[in-house]
Amino acid sequence: MTTAIVRVISLLLLLSFCTVAAGNQHSASGPHIRVSLLSEHQSLVVGQQQWLGIRLSPELEWHTYWRNAGDSGEAPNVSWQTNADINFGEIQWPLPEQIPVAHLVNYGYSGDILLMVPITLNSIDTLNATTENATTARISAELSWLVCKEDCIPGWATLTIELPISVTNHTSVDAGLFQQTRKRLPAPQKLNGKYEITEQFLTLSVEPPHSANWQLMPLRADLVQHNQKQQWLADNNSNSANVLLAKSDYFSVVDEPLEFLMTDGNNGYYLTAHYNQSPSVTNSAYKPPIWLLLAFAFIGGLILNIMPCVLPVLSLKAMALAHHANNEHDSNRSLSHWGYLLGILASFWLFAGLILVLKSGGNAIGWGFHLQEPAVIAALAFLFVFIALMLWDIAPSGAGFANLGNKLTEGVGFSSQFFTGVLAVIVASPCTAPFMATALGVAMVSPALDTLLIFTALALGFALPLSLLSLSPQFAKALPKPGPWMETFKQFIAFPMLATVVWLVWVFLGQTNSLAQLILLCGLLLFTLLIWFAHKSRGKKSLIALILAVITAIYISVSANNKVNENATNQQLPSARAKQNSQPYDPTLLSELRNQQQVVIVNMTADWCITCKVNEHVAFKDPQLNQLLQQSDVHYLVGDWTNKNNTILQYLNQYQRSGVPLYVVYAGSKSARILPQILTPEIVINAIKQAQQELNHANK
Amino acid sequence: MQTNRRNTNKWYSSKYWLIALVSMASLTATAAVKVDKAAPNFQLTNSQGEQVSLADFSGKYVVLEWTNHQCPYVKKHYDSDNMQALQRKYTDQDVVWLSIISSAPGKQGHVSPDKAEQLSKSRNAAPSHILFDESGEIGKLYGAKTTPHMYIVDQQGTLRYAGAIDSIKSANPADIAKATNYVDASMASLAKGETIAKKLTPPYGCSIKYKS
Repeated sequence: MTTAIVRVISLLLLLSFCTVAAGNQHSASGPHIRVSLLSEHQSLVVGQQQWLGIRLSPELEWHTYWRNAGDSGEAPNVSWQTNADINFGEIQWPLPEQIPVAHLVNYGYSGDILLMVPITLNSIDTLNATTENATTARISAELSWLVCKEDCIPGWATLTIELPISVTNHTSVDAGLFQQTRKRLPAPQKLNGKYEITEQFLTLSVEPPHSANWQLMPLRADLVQHNQKQQWLADNNSNSANVLLAKSDYFSVVDEPLEFLMTDGNNGYYLTAHYNQSPSVTNSAYKPPIWLLLAFAFIGGLILNIMPCVLPVLSLKAMALAHHANNEHDSNRSLSHWGYLLGILASFWLFAGLILVLKSGGNAIGWGFHLQEPAVIAALAFLFVFIALMLWDIAPSGAGFANLGNKLTEGVGFSSQFFTGVLAVIVASPCTAPFMATALGVAMVSPALDTLLIFTALALGFALPLSLLSLSPQFAKALPKPGPWMETFKQFIAFPMLATVVWLVWVFLGQTNSLAQLILLCGLLLFTLLIWFAHKSRGKKSLIALILAVITAIYISVSANNKVNENATNQQLPSARAKQNSQPYDPTLLSELRNQQQVVIVNMTADWCITCKVNEHVAFKDPQLNQLLQQSDVHYLVGDWTNKNNTILQYLNQYQRSGVPLYVVYAGSKSARILPQILTPEIVINAIKQAQQELNHANK
Repeated sequence: MQTNRRNTNKWYSSKYWLIALVSMASLTATAAVKVDKAAPNFQLTNSQGEQVSLADFSGKYVVLEWTNHQCPYVKKHYDSDNMQALQRKYTDQDVVWLSIISSAPGKQGHVSPDKAEQLSKSRNAAPSHILFDESGEIGKLYGAKTTPHMYIVDQQGTLRYAGAIDSIKSANPADIAKATNYVDASMASLAKGETIAKKLTPPYGCSIKYKS
């Protein structure tokens, strides 16, 4: 009750004082505060910058506020009036302190403060015209303030001083106060910084002029949670520091520059932080015009023709055409010409359609996704061995199958042309998977129509050389004349085929284990033996051998997929053998590891990304986490998004992100969990352990 | 190698600050209500001694006003009849207006139910209910920071506005006429079915005098 009475009295005081202060006073007092208007000099000189100051002297334990008051409170406000032609500058705010009040934090001054304002008297013309005493300028400050302890009391006053105009100026009695205050002002030097926005934090990168216990005070009230501790992390490689600030509940910044005062209590610098525009994140930057993409896809298609696994097939075809170049009596010629092109188009469209379906289903896929299945790898190995055998004329001669291969690929009829096209696409895929990933990465993240167009352009480019040969007699006639050299050449190109098999078997090992690889190699040997037998024998025997060969191929291929699941957890991967703490991100590696039911953590980062660096400092340097990352079933993949990279872009897009950081923890093929953008070691450790548990449960 | 180790230790120690920071931030993030999300229900005693809960007013707009009659910023809006005019305007339109006092006993703005009634009468105020939140539990649940701090809940129980009473942060009643009143603007937008231009603003005023 007594406090209430005190407050009523203070209110009455306040009201009475307001009227008193309206006079010609240069100072006034309100409850718990005295305010005054001071000049550094005794007089004004035309054209010279001089200083006025508003002095706020609160009682002990009471405080006033900085330009941003923080969670509550209000900065003093001044508006100037004068009869002279004077320009008033901005208030020079001395370095504030952080004042905790209950659960809030304010920025302000707990003692005497002088708010200095630069003024310039432009001329004395108006004074001559309006006043009798032309040599005196009258300046009034309409001041409002808030003075607080826990409770706050607002006040208003009009403070007035009169200053004579002269040609020389002498310092006033208050000049010392101005000198002292100058030492409390932020340095004139302005700093620049960068900032990023995450879910809960504002991350800033600044370069402090020297190391100190710096704090950032935003000039805006709605930026950060003033009562949260600021986390400063020095960057070992440079002088810069990264700062984590908890976002305000009222945060509404998009990308405008943000202003802060950086202070350690004794020194201060104004800092402008600009939005960290990552060089390759904007939509326009990574999306070239569609015609350019199509042109690249077309050229890419052309290049596919000379890939080691495609060239042999096409060479065969070209030779077949050379054989028939002079054959004018081919009845189906006009239609069959288009067969090859249609075969390729149909295959590519099928691929595009499949990708669109899978994409809409939200699956993580890429060109060559079918190669992630060991069964497909094994089947391709069998196919390539078969082609090599055909090239050596060890083709089965059994009933009906005698010249199937030759008929299909070497013939000139529509179906054989079509089949050649389909076969070309299939055999091309192992070579193109790594080669075309970049161009197709764009197709993956483009709208459906664009994807279809890109695939079409690719198909057209791929089909062009051979279509020209078959469509135009001129081109066909340009081919070398048939002769014995063709046989030699045909036998030679079996070797690139077998080279592809070697590569496939190696990839297969990466996906499965050495036992599965041994079984595959034995299967290939048996397959070759059976084909050879089918070639040597006649009639029924040949057919049986061929059927056995096909069964071998199918059985070995299909059972390869089971090998993966059976042996996934305790096998040695090529990647695991050479395991370091982290490996560069590679989509194929990721899907292999996931298929093998490993725990994978993917870290998408960039050199220019402040948030990423903060996390690498805080989380990824943790010894406990590093121990965990060393475990044989945990794999840490780091993607570097510093420069443009479509592979990573594609990955980011899968998670509806257009930039870094992005952290994902996979429990094999079972689940993927996106981690927050600001990490602690515990967040990562828990996510990894959870993924391990999930996999353990699944195995039991 | 030695330098690296030292650095690791340095980060090791600073790391715990960050963990504390992140966990604190996530606490506050979960504690504060979100605009366009369901407004959490609460039950408080009114100045008549009755239990009043937010759910009682389902189907009506509800305005929440955190208040403290001794706060200069509250006085700015009461001495000028600005707050009471809003209360009368909206309660006439069947909007429920809840004035909530989260001041702890012994702190500024804490009043007895009788005193609250008396204040309403003397100031010509027209809230539907005056509610007491001495523990500060509901104030903190809503992330109420200052007096006044305003919230609007729609008929479906969704929070539609949270923030300041108006656009000019000052204790000077002369600024009321120059300011945009956010409660008025938001209610007008809601009535027209438009999106609210500023649905989350930093509140201004005195800090709420919570128990702790």
